[in-house]
Amino acid sequence: MLQDNTARGANLPSAIVAVEHVVKRFGHFTALSDINLSVTAGEKIVLCGPSGSGKSTLIRCINHIEKHDGGRIVVAGVDLTDRVTDINSVRREVGMVFQSFNLFPHLSIVENCMLAPMKVRGLSSEEARERAMGVLRQVRIHDQASKYPGQLSGGQQQRVAIARALCMQPKIMLFDEPTSALDPEMVKEVLDTIIGLARDGMTMICVTHEMGFAREVADRVVFMDRGTIVEEADPETFFRAPRTERAKGFLQQIIH
Amino acid sequence: MNSLDFSIVFQSWPYLWSGLLFSLALTAAASVIGMILGTCFALTQHFEVPVIGRIVRAYIALIRSIPLILVLFWFFFLVPIVLGHLSGNGRPIPIGATWTAFITFGLFEAAYYSEIIRVGLRAVNRGQFEACQALALSTFDTYRCVILPQVLRVASPIILSQTIILFQDTSLVYVLSLTDLLGAASKLAQLNSRLVEMYLVVALVYLAISSAASQCVASLRKRYAIAGSRR
Ligand SMILES: Nc1ncnc2c1ncn2[C@@H]1O[C@H](COP(=O)(O)OP(=O)(O)OP(=O)(O)O)[C@@H](O)[C@H]1O
Ligand SMILES: [Mg+2]
Repeated sequence: MLQDNTARGANLPSAIVAVEHVVKRFGHFTALSDINLSVTAGEKIVLCGPSGSGKSTLIRCINHIEKHDGGRIVVAGVDLTDRVTDINSVRREVGMVFQSFNLFPHLSIVENCMLAPMKVRGLSSEEARERAMGVLRQVRIHDQASKYPGQLSGGQQQRVAIARALCMQPKIMLFDEPTSALDPEMVKEVLDTIIGLARDGMTMICVTHEMGFAREVADRVVFMDRGTIVEEADPETFFRAPRTERAKGFLQQIIH
Repeated sequence: MNSLDFSIVFQSWPYLWSGLLFSLALTAAASVIGMILGTCFALTQHFEVPVIGRIVRAYIALIRSIPLILVLFWFFFLVPIVLGHLSGNGRPIPIGATWTAFITFGLFEAAYYSEIIRVGLRAVNRGQFEACQALALSTFDTYRCVILPQVLRVASPIILSQTIILFQDTSLVYVLSLTDLLGAASKLAQLNSRLVEMYLVVALVYLAISSAASQCVASLRKRYAIAGSRR
């Protein structure tokens, strides 16, 4: 029944991300097998599952940092499966936030946010700076704009990473465990930032094990194990009454 | 003869000065040529460019395994002959000692800088490349704005150390009958029989310049060590 929904969703114009029967291999190892996922504009998906289940691989396929070996991925109307002539036209619309921030250490905070809009979107340096300062204000870190990444706390760096992605004005945001490299006291400030984005209507796919966050923002929780999607449900249902044994086992582990 | 007389040094200062300027100019030119070419060489290795990458690798291995003085001989005596053959009439085309020195030192340094930059490129975190991909930066912008600036910062102490060695090696241009600082000093020393004074002063000049540069290296190291530890 879920499969039906997914298949139908993929054909609707509102499906901004459509993943159909996607397979990804690393050598002989199959990291993703027959993945189907459809995300409509404005939808918030939380991806969870045990380590090595393929969560990162899946979201990295969506912006083509990893190339899938089989099936079809359509993002913002562009099919990533054909010989992709302009991957960057997709990547422009997809922001990504990494577990380890990956800020550019030799550039100041505001320069981190200005680089891609200038080089990729063709903004002038004044326009880019203005936009960067606006977004940095939105993530409440504009007072650090002239500092360097190494001078900021982990939570602040991750908020800058979010701002850097937002400066490209993406249609979709991908988050790969945005809080798991952070000290516990910094998790909240980052989650609050992402919640703010969700309230503004951003389409997002977020890999995370933060259950409170998932309950608050997710329209759907997608549970993966060993390269497949095992279960999909709204967060209440998923956390209260998981259907599969694997999801039950997983939930027990993250609670303890 | 028994007492030291440094007046000769002051009298002949303009000549020494011109020698020093030549040494500095050669060092500067060779390090600029070396940096540009070395970066290109390193990138051919990094991207594993077919054919060209292998040729460059062989070139680097060759240059790094033979003494600079031999490279100088090659260029001075062989390149004119090769050029002559290429031009068709078979007669050697002399390229002049100064040009030989600049080109040879530049090509020689390129091999060394290239290795430093190649290692630096490998040390850049994969996440930096992924962040650039995710931001839709072109490969060109990725390297120009993000990767190479980081590599050059991290590698700058080693590059500067290499350049100090280069500065000392410029004295080898005597084989091309060019006059650098050491060359000027030894000519003057023999002319005036004031070997001790001349070589003492020249040693001090080398010492002063090299240690100033070493200070620079040390302060660069310190600066980037702090930036690194905070990252
Ligand atoms: N570049 C790669 N080369 C080979 N194997 C890889 C590569 N990237 C991922 N894998 C393998 O693919 C599987 C899925 O990896 P992935 O990183 O997607 O897992 P994950 O669900 O994100 O796990 P985690 O929670 O630990 O981040 C793992 O078994 C991993 O070892
Ligand atoms: Mg992962």
